[in-house]
Amino acid sequence: MPPAHHTLTVSLPPTVTDTALATALAAAAELWWPGGRHPRLWSETVPAPAGSDTAARRRAAEARRPVAPGHRLRAVLLRYADGLRAGAAATDGDLVLTADGSALDARSLRLVARVLRGELAADAVTPLDGPLAPDLRLDEETRRLAAALAVTVGRYTGEPAVRVAVPVPALDRPPYALGALDGYAVLTADLSPGRTVAELLATEPVAPAGAPGPLLAPAEGAEPPALELAAGTGAGPATLPTAPDALPVPAHQVEHVRRQLLDGPPGTPLHRLDPLTASESAEQRALGTTPKAPAPLRIDEALAAQVAARPDAAALTAGAVTLSYAELNDRAEEFADGLYAHGVRPGDLVGLCLPRSADLVVAMLAVLKADAVHVPLDPEHPADRRERTARDAGVRLTVGDPAALTGHPPRPAGERRVAGAPAYVIHTSGSTGRPKGVLVPHANVTALVDAVRDDFGLCPDDTWTCFHSAAFDFSVWEIWGALLTGGRLVLVDHWTSRSPEDFHALLVRERVSVLSQTPSAFTQLAAADRTGGDLSALRLVVLGGEPLDTRPLLGWFDRHPEDRCRLVNMYGITETTVHVTAATVTRREALAGSRSVGRPLPGWSVRVLDAHGRPVPPGAPGEIHVGGAGVALGYLNRPALTAERFVPDPLDPAGRLYRSGDLGRLGPDGALEHLGRIDDQVKVRGFRIEPGEIRHVLLEDPAVSAAAVTVTGGRDGDAAAVRIDAYVVPAPGAGEDPGPVRERAARLLPAHMVPATVTVLPVLPLTANGKLDAARLPAPGTRRTPEPAAAPREAAPDGVLAAIWRDVLGVAEIGPDDDFWDLGGNSLYAIRIGTLARERGLPGIPLRQLYLTPTLGALSDALAREA
Amino acid sequence: MTGGDRGPAADGGTGPPAGGGARLAGRTALVTGAARGLGRACALALAREGADLVLLDVAGELPGVPYPLGSASQLAHTAALCREAGAAVLTRQADVRDLAALEAAADAAEERFGRIDVLVNNAGIAAPSGRPAHEITEAEWQLMIDVDLGGAWRAIRAVGGRMAAQGSGSIVNIASTAGLVGYRHFAGYVAAKHGLVGLTKAVALDYAPRKVRVNAVCPGSVRDDAAMEGRMLAEIARSLEVPVAEHEAAFVRDQPMNALVEPGDVADAVLWLASDESRRVTGSVVTVDGGFTAR
Repeated sequence: MPPAHHTLTVSLPPTVTDTALATALAAAAELWWPGGRHPRLWSETVPAPAGSDTAARRRAAEARRPVAPGHRLRAVLLRYADGLRAGAAATDGDLVLTADGSALDARSLRLVARVLRGELAADAVTPLDGPLAPDLRLDEETRRLAAALAVTVGRYTGEPAVRVAVPVPALDRPPYALGALDGYAVLTADLSPGRTVAELLATEPVAPAGAPGPLLAPAEGAEPPALELAAGTGAGPATLPTAPDALPVPAHQVEHVRRQLLDGPPGTPLHRLDPLTASESAEQRALGTTPKAPAPLRIDEALAAQVAARPDAAALTAGAVTLSYAELNDRAEEFADGLYAHGVRPGDLVGLCLPRSADLVVAMLAVLKADAVHVPLDPEHPADRRERTARDAGVRLTVGDPAALTGHPPRPAGERRVAGAPAYVIHTSGSTGRPKGVLVPHANVTALVDAVRDDFGLCPDDTWTCFHSAAFDFSVWEIWGALLTGGRLVLVDHWTSRSPEDFHALLVRERVSVLSQTPSAFTQLAAADRTGGDLSALRLVVLGGEPLDTRPLLGWFDRHPEDRCRLVNMYGITETTVHVTAATVTRREALAGSRSVGRPLPGWSVRVLDAHGRPVPPGAPGEIHVGGAGVALGYLNRPALTAERFVPDPLDPAGRLYRSGDLGRLGPDGALEHLGRIDDQVKVRGFRIEPGEIRHVLLEDPAVSAAAVTVTGGRDGDAAAVRIDAYVVPAPGAGEDPGPVRERAARLLPAHMVPATVTVLPVLPLTANGKLDAARLPAPGTRRTPEPAAAPREAAPDGVLAAIWRDVLGVAEIGPDDDFWDLGGNSLYAIRIGTLARERGLPGIPLRQLYLTPTLGALSDALAREA
Repeated sequence: MTGGDRGPAADGGTGPPAGGGARLAGRTALVTGAARGLGRACALALAREGADLVLLDVAGELPGVPYPLGSASQLAHTAALCREAGAAVLTRQADVRDLAALEAAADAAEERFGRIDVLVNNAGIAAPSGRPAHEITEAEWQLMIDVDLGGAWRAIRAVGGRMAAQGSGSIVNIASTAGLVGYRHFAGYVAAKHGLVGLTKAVALDYAPRKVRVNAVCPGSVRDDAAMEGRMLAEIARSLEVPVAEHEAAFVRDQPMNALVEPGDVADAVLWLASDESRRVTGSVVTVDGGFTAR
């Protein structure tokens, strides 16, 4: 009676993809059992490392499962958390094969495994039909080859004993068995010190434990050794397997040892046998220096590779016009000649004041080809501001009309500067009001694209948008992310970028696959998406430029499952070349309201340090310092400010760190939590007000789809003047009444962080860069009583209470429906009211009561009930 | 447990310890409507007790249902939570009104896991509701009966024969207190859930000789747990045009134990019926309603 089922677990070479494996399985099954019911490949990802107990339990559980009635074979592919590289098609994994014991045997399973591992062609395996072959004796050649393989492998692994499977004929096979001629027995080579060649060659292969008879009937179900010789043709000797991954050692080294076994005296000690040839030994000794990492490229060099690789592929789309890579390159060459004709020389600064058009990108590339540095000036900014920025930067020339750059003679050829030379200057507004020009070199940009290329799977099939102004460095990522990976860049004109509906239509029309947005702009786009067309081409959304609140993303995920469109939150700073960290956001993060911005990009580093430059204790907040491949050269013409913000790295004498001015916290897993600007921290009586946390609580409310929080006053030390106001956009179908939103927030936030007002807006105002424009928020909403109250109630406690409100709030007239918070109340005023109430003989008023019953009348009624 | 399926209000729950156990080790359970809510809570509880899972959900909109149903993203999240609890998981998008889809899912489940031991018929809709019987349209009536009653019967058609052939299995139908008593303005839902209790008893007799057990669980008002992303209570409240908080408060008041039922309370009952601990229990109704129907 055969066992109920056989099972075999083998590891897969990293090059095997799920699809290739499934195809190989289907093809092999059709070949062996034509017309039968064919096994499918089942893939499963175990959320634990391959070496963990959890993974071992899962492998064991898979091996225990029976095969369904009517099926011969089941193939389950297990992938593991540590083998997962997002975006990569191929990963390491284990293949668990289970066979119905009445149909197949363990040897058949081994053959299936070898075919699926690519070691054996499916048509080299004979399905059982007809009588079995006669005995085959283990010949001298096979014996020597097995010994040579064992010695060679033993030299690599250092194991004292190595097992090699040698082919032997098979006898009793079940009806659907495979490879009727090639059973296996095991030769265990004892390689311990002192053993000789003669002793090794005298070793007899044996059937695995438990097998009846001598050599010719290997036991079913026994684990085969990892090393297997291939059966020879007919009665010929066995050979080394020829498949790429079947041998862990080079075949010529095995052959080298086999010759030594054949030619050397039988008394030779095994340790004299050397798998390495003379030249290999020499090479081995010469090793000791690692190859240098390839030098970083200039942007224009990296782009030239794309132009050479796919000259006719589309590079830029602007409106109805599309330029190929060759056209982009040719036009940029022409512009570069024009720049030279206008006196631009290597290292000069060139202002670019162009709308988002193909010529903007062409001109950028031309400036880089001319070995100059471009300084984008946003045409939407006031002319005075642009002029001042250009003057401060000391630009040689400002390009406002590309026509001026055409039709000039070719510039002389010259050596361009290294990749460490500056490529662009982008101005960021400082807290002092005077914009600072950040000087970023070529190498930072090419390093940024290389850092995410594999993880994001960026490829020539992608279509990107350039949504952001050239003066906002998010566009650096959009432009070069697309063009340095061979993708197509669709330029979004200013008016389309201001209309979420039009922009959504563009994404549909152009089949955009990689989208970059600020969270504020994305919220509006997601709202337009509820009624817009199909975004089936979209596969990656990169959110950056602002803190992200994950909770409102749930609705987006419902329409765009994470396995079809990946969403990545990136934290970054202009001074560190757009991005620093990346965190993939899924439903899990959204449900948890995660505020993690993830781990640093490869080549970037993040440290959280205290005011003295020392690492803070684990989990404690501190200032985020960024080092590595993205750190800019400094601020243009601002040596003092550069020295203040770009500091030496205490851990790396060659490195520099950028002090971000951002508050952050590093998790035990190395993921960074961004806690806001250090300058923005406002404290009330020692309690820090966290606008981010307030916003977070507001956004958890199902009735709220977007929220903004402003904190005013208090910077000059008057804590009582601190005022928190909130603005919310209602969720679809939710009401317009802010009351319930504020009541909910009051239940969840500490008293000093409850907003005084909640104002409902149809949409939040955004800046040209797509970030929240706090300056354009309306004055906080008031819900004052329309008419003065009929007659202020004079009886205590009303009268006394009204007088206290008048005193504390500084308001002349107060009616019973007037709201404490609408009158400018805050938590400190509330405490004063409580104190005065006690002083004037009323019951104490807990702070919370003012949130629950914020109007004078309601508070009065509540106090009356208390009394 | 991460604040998930059992809220702070749960008093005296008798479920498994937080780390889970092995009451269902080596068993395979198929759960319908698994993207969120009770389906997610049941799937997660089964996974924690060692079961492997086949998770089904319509994962899309159903014309005629006035609220969004589970999404593909939610189904994937349930699967991820179950995998973390140690389960092997197969997910399939399937409408319980589509017998062919259910049969294909059952075929795949059997091929993947060798057998199906537990079927949890959880998929169901609460609306269109909120009107007296004579105002229900033909299409609304058909939809409600087709999903809430027909769906369970079709899943039994797809899975029951296999369980009978292997001589073991447990089918748990998630009914409702609306399967025991009436609710005003919910004629379609109440009729479907009463039907489901009837179906449970009849099929229990069909399969008793083959050692396949069939039982129903009747939850009272279950809190919409944030981690489970439940929204049944909210949708019932919306059908009745009352604020959710008011509706919740009314239910709490009406329940002798003065607390809403938590998703984990229902999942615990399902676990018991799915496991061998209830091996002589078939054709029965387990009510998890804080005493609501006791008076």
